Amino acid sequence: MKHWSEHLSGLRSVETLDGKLSLVLNNTLAAVDDGRQEILRFIGAVDTMAINRLETVFEELVTNVIRHGFERMSNQSIHVVVERTPGAIQLTLEDDGVPYNPLAAVMPAPAQSIETAKIGGLGIPLIVKLSSKLQYEELHPAETMAFRPRNRVIVAIAV
Amino acid sequence: MEMQHSDVGEVRKVTLKGRLDTAGVDMIETRFGAAIAAAGKNTVVDISEVTFLASMGIRMLIATTRSLSRKGGKLALYNATPAVREVIETVALTDIIPLAGSESEAVSIVTGQA
Repeated sequence: MKHWSEHLSGLRSVETLDGKLSLVLNNTLAAVDDGRQEILRFIGAVDTMAINRLETVFEELVTNVIRHGFERMSNQSIHVVVERTPGAIQLTLEDDGVPYNPLAAVMPAPAQSIETAKIGGLGIPLIVKLSSKLQYEELHPAETMAFRPRNRVIVAIAV
Repeated sequence: MEMQHSDVGEVRKVTLKGRLDTAGVDMIETRFGAAIAAAGKNTVVDISEVTFLASMGIRMLIATTRSLSRKGGKLALYNATPAVREVIETVALTDIIPLAGSESEAVSIVTGQA
């Protein structure tokens, strides 16, 4: 089924400063691919397996927020900072959606058969297992702030 | 995302090409289900040109394999790239959908001649 927001551009802004890439993603699934391409351009040559882990974790985090954390047709956004740290690429994502802690998610039990397998719910296990670091913080920003994020996720992929 | 299908004897062969992410699944999910579950034949799926697999893609594979299973058919994947294989193994998908190293191995699995 087509998502209502597919006509919107994914990127609200892109900035590189002090060796970090800052992206503001719109409330649209186009943000996944638009953001991914900016990140790949920024990080340059990296092992293909690490790139795949990074792309997977980014896709699952962003689609989760847009599908489950944001209101339909809202002006909500995800602010992403990408940086190279020693031995890793780190993403910090802040969003003003519903508070949601991916570390508190219940991991699905291993499927016993195709008949009983759970369809869906595999995004969080992928994020948890493919990352080398995963932190979550619920935020309580002041009412006066223009962007009032409720969630901060810091995730790193070893390279 | 591209998809083709053909029949090799009694076995349906489906070839997927591209990124099996949220956007890719939107593009092919209906055709994928029609080519496999609606046909009801034992099926092998060549994923050698699937360059990326996200949870939405895994969801599509499980849902279609289940629909086929209810018609008595079996499905096996084959020729995953190392990156796609890692995602498949991370969620233990191979516990419920076999992943073969070649087309002939996949055909043997679904026809019960392994």
